[in-house]
Amino acid sequence: MLISLMVNGKVRRVEAAPEARLSAVLRAGLGLTGLKEGCCEGECGACTVLLDGQAVNSCLVAACQVEGRRIETVEGLDPSGLPQAFVDAGAIQCGFCTPGMVMAAEALLRSDPDPAPDTIRHALAGNICRCTGFVAIVQAVALEAGRRRGRAA
Amino acid sequence: MTALAIATPPDLAALATLLAQGPLGFIAGGTDVMVAGRGLPAAGRLVDLSRVPELAFIAATGADIRIGAATTVAALAADPALRARLPALAQAAAQCGSVQIRNRATIGGNIANAAPAADLIPVLVAAAARLWLILPGGARVERALDGLTLPPGALITEVILPGTKLLGRSAFAKLGVRRDLTIARLNLALLTDYQGGRFGAVRLVAGALGPRPRRLPRAEAALAGQVLNPATLRGWLAALTAEVEAAIPGRAALPWKRRAIAGPGLEVVAGVAGLALDAPLFEEVAA
Repeated sequence: MLISLMVNGKVRRVEAAPEARLSAVLRAGLGLTGLKEGCCEGECGACTVLLDGQAVNSCLVAACQVEGRRIETVEGLDPSGLPQAFVDAGAIQCGFCTPGMVMAAEALLRSDPDPAPDTIRHALAGNICRCTGFVAIVQAVALEAGRRRGRAA
Repeated sequence: MTALAIATPPDLAALATLLAQGPLGFIAGGTDVMVAGRGLPAAGRLVDLSRVPELAFIAATGADIRIGAATTVAALAADPALRARLPALAQAAAQCGSVQIRNRATIGGNIANAAPAADLIPVLVAAAARLWLILPGGARVERALDGLTLPPGALITEVILPGTKLLGRSAFAKLGVRRDLTIARLNLALLTDYQGGRFGAVRLVAGALGPRPRRLPRAEAALAGQVLNPATLRGWLAALTAEVEAAIPGRAALPWKRRAIAGPGLEVVAGVAGLALDAPLFEEVAA
């Protein structure tokens, strides 16, 4: 089926099987290879994108469900925002989990501009990192939250 | 070429007409059916329930609580009226999966998937939930959730929590291998009337203690009519252990679950009593 959806602010059309994973459609169909397919079970969070502003596992969304809907991927983020904060905090090692981590963090910061460390951990509980560890990742999100509040002040 | 045809009925009436015409596959949040191996039908018609507006609603202020089957778990966790009236359901929803899962997973999907460790179902059973179904053929029927085997091809459209069966206080607690995004090894839903330090009626249902949610009558009897004090709590914990021994005799999990049930057991009592779990009363009993 031909699917029409809004990706990172642009209308895109893509041919996909109705039951195809959104993650595969975005990667293979639209060349957005930032998101990763890790477990395809909703455990690892590496495929996290925003669907109408909400963090979802794109591996568990069927292509037929996104007709006309709004998708945001890591490619659509301002690189000087959360991605730079992850670099500055040393929150990246292999980088496989990072695109999903920053999208889950982006969803959090839009609803909570000043999250406590425990709130950040809870919001990122659906994203698994196997190398850097979570301490620097939580610090990176707090760092970006502080920068955004500084700019808003 | 794909063998799946997608149907997007605009409302329940159109959905019932489709069901009358032949078998359908369903997808709502996709968090179970999209996982490899569980799968969608390979061919035939597939209905995307996440796009039927009539199936996504929470009406928690009327005589009964009514919840559309395609309501997301995140919506259950966030609804203030539902949290006020049946805190256990909001608590179970908030502890279900991750943010990403809660944003997609639905109450109807949790029921239809019927995992022994499902978090919402023990609360729904304790609240004497009833379901509206559309059967293949298009007939609409109401059924009690407890003991139900969903007829093949049936669609859950609505969950009813009868107001006459709700009790004044409720709490949910869950034991897993980690705090978040964890499959329950044991969960408990407690509904009770609790006033002036005394328990009235009690309904208690455990999940992950067998293939179906299990009502725990011995433990209910240990609380009903009792004053909240250390002796009552010791009786409660002993009854919970007896319930585990009766539920899973000979199972590998028995030696640890018979003891571990004390954790969620004390947590749900603290929840309905409005006390912190580190209050002296609980510390004394747990020691």
